[in-house]
Amino acid sequence: MTSVKCVWALCTSALLVSGAVTACGHSGDPRPAQILASAPDVAFKNLQGGDVSLASLKGKVVLLNFWATWCDPCRSEIPTFIGLQDKYASKGFTMLGASMDEDGIKAIDPFRADTKFNVNGTEKTMDYPIVLGTDAITEKFGGLLGMPTSYLISRDGKIIKRYIGVVNEAQITKDVEDALGRG
Amino acid sequence: MRTTLRYPIFLMLAFVIGASIVSGLLAQDSGAPRSAASVTTNKVYTSLDPVPRGKEFQVAVVVNIVNGYHMNSHRPLDTYLIPTTVTPQLPAGFTLKDTIYPAGKDLKFPFSPDKPLNVYTESVTLRLRLAADEKVALGDASIPIKLRYQACNNSACLPPVTIPLTADVKVAAAGASAKAVHPELFSAEK
Repeated sequence: MTSVKCVWALCTSALLVSGAVTACGHSGDPRPAQILASAPDVAFKNLQGGDVSLASLKGKVVLLNFWATWCDPCRSEIPTFIGLQDKYASKGFTMLGASMDEDGIKAIDPFRADTKFNVNGTEKTMDYPIVLGTDAITEKFGGLLGMPTSYLISRDGKIIKRYIGVVNEAQITKDVEDALGRG
Repeated sequence: MRTTLRYPIFLMLAFVIGASIVSGLLAQDSGAPRSAASVTTNKVYTSLDPVPRGKEFQVAVVVNIVNGYHMNSHRPLDTYLIPTTVTPQLPAGFTLKDTIYPAGKDLKFPFSPDKPLNVYTESVTLRLRLAADEKVALGDASIPIKLRYQACNNSACLPPVTIPLTADVKVAAAGASAKAVHPELFSAEK
């Protein structure tokens, strides 16, 4: 009888954990889902027409952020990303903003030039690397459920976490620091 | 003893695996961003039945927005935001006189706590003021309409989407008697 109780307890725990993990990954809630799978082998076009592959960024911690100029929640987290780039670029971190704007550079260039963000009391433009996202690329990440969606990728090219919705500044800073600390 | 235990354990495992799948799916669905098209359900109404040749009439597109989502109004407060639009593709014999968009609501969201956005929520009626020309073909006509919007919830946005809709119109001879239908949709001032 004891073993029956034991199995019930194990099964119930498994049930709760399974529901919680799934909810965390898909809820549109910025709580990150932990993934730990290899990032897909994708190459973006940068704004100058050159290629930027994720493979070429191996050795760096990458925060890949799918965003668009028309997406207000995306805009709200840009100051956080500018701050992360300023603070951690010298330690082996890079932001990579993948724009999903249909008009591509035509939409991004004026946005980058004209839009100022308050980063810790200083007005800054979006000065971290921007590339052009495509549906084919997002499909390789399993498709976008909404924007913003971000992926934290380790130095060895593993997806550490996925964030759907606006990131929490304290949480993402800690996650980046942890990723950098992994060596 | 081992034989009697095995059966309930298999039953329990089967139950838990099934329940896990259901629980996961439910968790996945709750609050998850939907596809852009599924954020709204849309109905199209015509103000006159039939529409006599030479008469003006209206088409209303009633957009019902899923709870928890909003879409930019036709006049968002920022040039980078994508406005809601309704655009008819008029067959020969029909003329667009005006498109009537209601004012949006200025609302603040968790991602924009200081700056309000001008949005539509819950339900919005967009109207086209049209005219049937004197020589428009008699009988049934379909007017294709494109509804375009970009929707968000409190945390994330969905890509802009264009939804094809159709207004069905019956054209009658000039001077034919016409019944006003759905006056509640068409009586509002511009």
